[in-house]
Amino acid sequence: MTETLEGRLGELGRVLGRRVTFMEVCGTHTVELFRTGVRSMLPREIRLISGPGCPVCVTDQRDIDAALFLARLPGVIFTTYGDMLRVPGSRGSLGDARGEGADVRVITSAAQALEGARQTPCREVVFCAVGFETTAPATAAVLLEARRQGIKNFSVLSLHKRVPPALELLASAPDLAVDGFLLPGHVGVILGEEPFRFLPEKFGVPCALAGFEAEEMAAGIAELGRQVILRAPAVRSVYPRAVRPEGNPRARSLMEEVFSPARAPWRGLGEMASSGLALREDFSPFDARRRFDLPPFPFVSTPCACGAVLSGRIDPPECPLFGTSCTPVSPVGPCMVSGEGSCAAHHRFGRGWAE
Amino acid sequence: MSLLTLGHGSGGRLSGDLARRIACAFAPEGPPQEMEDCALLPEGWGVTLDGFTVTPRTFPGGNLGKLAVCGAVNDLAVRGVRPRYLCLGVIAEEGFPEDELMEHMASAAEVCAELHLRLVAGDTKVVPRGTADGLFLTTCAWGTPQRPDALGMTRLRPGDVLLLTGAPGRHGATIAAARYGLDAPGLESDCAPLGALLEPLYDLPGLRCMRDCTRGGVGTALGEWAEGGGVGLEIREVDLPRSPEVEDVAQLLGLDPLYLACEGTAVVAVAPEDAPEALARLRRSLRGGASAPIGVVTDRHPRWVGLRTRAGGTRVVDLPVGELLPRIC
Repeated sequence: MTETLEGRLGELGRVLGRRVTFMEVCGTHTVELFRTGVRSMLPREIRLISGPGCPVCVTDQRDIDAALFLARLPGVIFTTYGDMLRVPGSRGSLGDARGEGADVRVITSAAQALEGARQTPCREVVFCAVGFETTAPATAAVLLEARRQGIKNFSVLSLHKRVPPALELLASAPDLAVDGFLLPGHVGVILGEEPFRFLPEKFGVPCALAGFEAEEMAAGIAELGRQVILRAPAVRSVYPRAVRPEGNPRARSLMEEVFSPARAPWRGLGEMASSGLALREDFSPFDARRRFDLPPFPFVSTPCACGAVLSGRIDPPECPLFGTSCTPVSPVGPCMVSGEGSCAAHHRFGRGWAE
Repeated sequence: MSLLTLGHGSGGRLSGDLARRIACAFAPEGPPQEMEDCALLPEGWGVTLDGFTVTPRTFPGGNLGKLAVCGAVNDLAVRGVRPRYLCLGVIAEEGFPEDELMEHMASAAEVCAELHLRLVAGDTKVVPRGTADGLFLTTCAWGTPQRPDALGMTRLRPGDVLLLTGAPGRHGATIAAARYGLDAPGLESDCAPLGALLEPLYDLPGLRCMRDCTRGGVGTALGEWAEGGGVGLEIREVDLPRSPEVEDVAQLLGLDPLYLACEGTAVVAVAPEDAPEALARLRRSLRGGASAPIGVVTDRHPRWVGLRTRAGGTRVVDLPVGELLPRIC
């Protein structure tokens, strides 16, 4: 056993003795694997592909159009996490809308959006709720608070997504041979291990829940390698904080009280049953879709290969637009927009000297 | 029609491209390849101009008035120019409190007094409410070059040593913490004039170029050097001066300290034979105690900045694009 990370990963490659493909599912992992240099240390035997793990990237163009529609309504203050600003819909982005005079405000927490509504009772405040199971409980808590306080000018456009249905789609795709999923530890803290058990049990795919430090991600990769070598697929946590098998019951019950799983469109992956989180009937007064009577938005196809990228079928540089007509300066697809998008990460870290 | 976005003002690639397009309108034959912090004029002057707006206008470690003077004189200092004169433009919004304006002016005057810098011309405008965000300051500083040769990124040579005079991102992290309501005890902007720190280096023959890492931070300054100087740069994560307060804020907001603005921290490139002396002089200076050698110039990957990570891997440090945005999860 060598001391360095690179040495240990190299050793894992030699023991594996064949090429394996692991998918990191979380956008933060995608970025951190580059940023910490872990990617540059992987042996030939281990190929890492990026999955649909950036909540901005998987937001469908039709949902961006819905957000743009709301943001452009007179009198609306549209609050959003910063990552969403530059994602193109069929006609411009929220950042463009802001440049044209829409009142689009960047916030860092759902609570700030509610606070904004409290402070400006004469304006409609809409919160664009994006994210996976890690951010949905915060949205739920804010909605409960809004109801408790009887706030009338606050609503939520829920674009929240659930991770497990997307993984099921990928695990069952015949043309995708994923030998293991590197799962984000913080999603595990909330959901527990249980919602991922179908992956080893039904599809025989190893899973490891890992943190975001170099050592922790390497430990996750090593755990996947171990399961492959022993042919013993399971869901194992190497996350430093305790992942309880049942997750965080309080966060889960918050989510369940406010949201119900619903059919939702994912950029590049299509519509999936139970993959989104819609507001329950009790909360319909806070549902921006109903409150503003949103029309349906048509799907506009683009030449961007984000579907193939998000499902790990191609690496970002294999997209014909990558680095030519699609760059971080003028992104065509969402994977190039978000800092956590796999195309942006490959473009930012993966060129030149590092490859 | 393409509209300007905040990204065009963030100091990264979009800002550089916009500045080049504007320069083209004046020089159709093409703007200069490399864009330096100040112009060295044939008549023997160094001159620079800078506009300032920041929210909040007063922050731990400084305010808009102090920032406006430091920003301008630092652009001179990094090219070996001692500032002598200042012009100041004030654009204020109708309804702006005069007391607050005078607070900023007092802070600006204090820096000028420290540097023996004379205010020689100025302008004030008050614009109708809603057409400007509070207060905008513009400063133009000029002075006399202290070296016969022009410091600049085209002087970079493989083997040169890169020194950084303090932890990256202190100003940017301070502003971000204030803007997003984060409590960051101990965090203060590095906003300060750089002359006292950098002037002792001016007589080193091996001094190549210097840069105050303002908008876009250390990462952007290095990226522009690599592209403008046509050389590769290699920096080591373990050798970067660190500030735990900056790292806390950056981690919370999902920002990279390498791309957060500094207002009193410079990167210095110096020939290897003069590097130990340059480092010793920086460390002796009041604001340079944390100076460290962070990397080297190399011919291995021209136009790219590479970083050797703490974990022992490698990656590219690219110019940031667009607005620095806090991430979602």
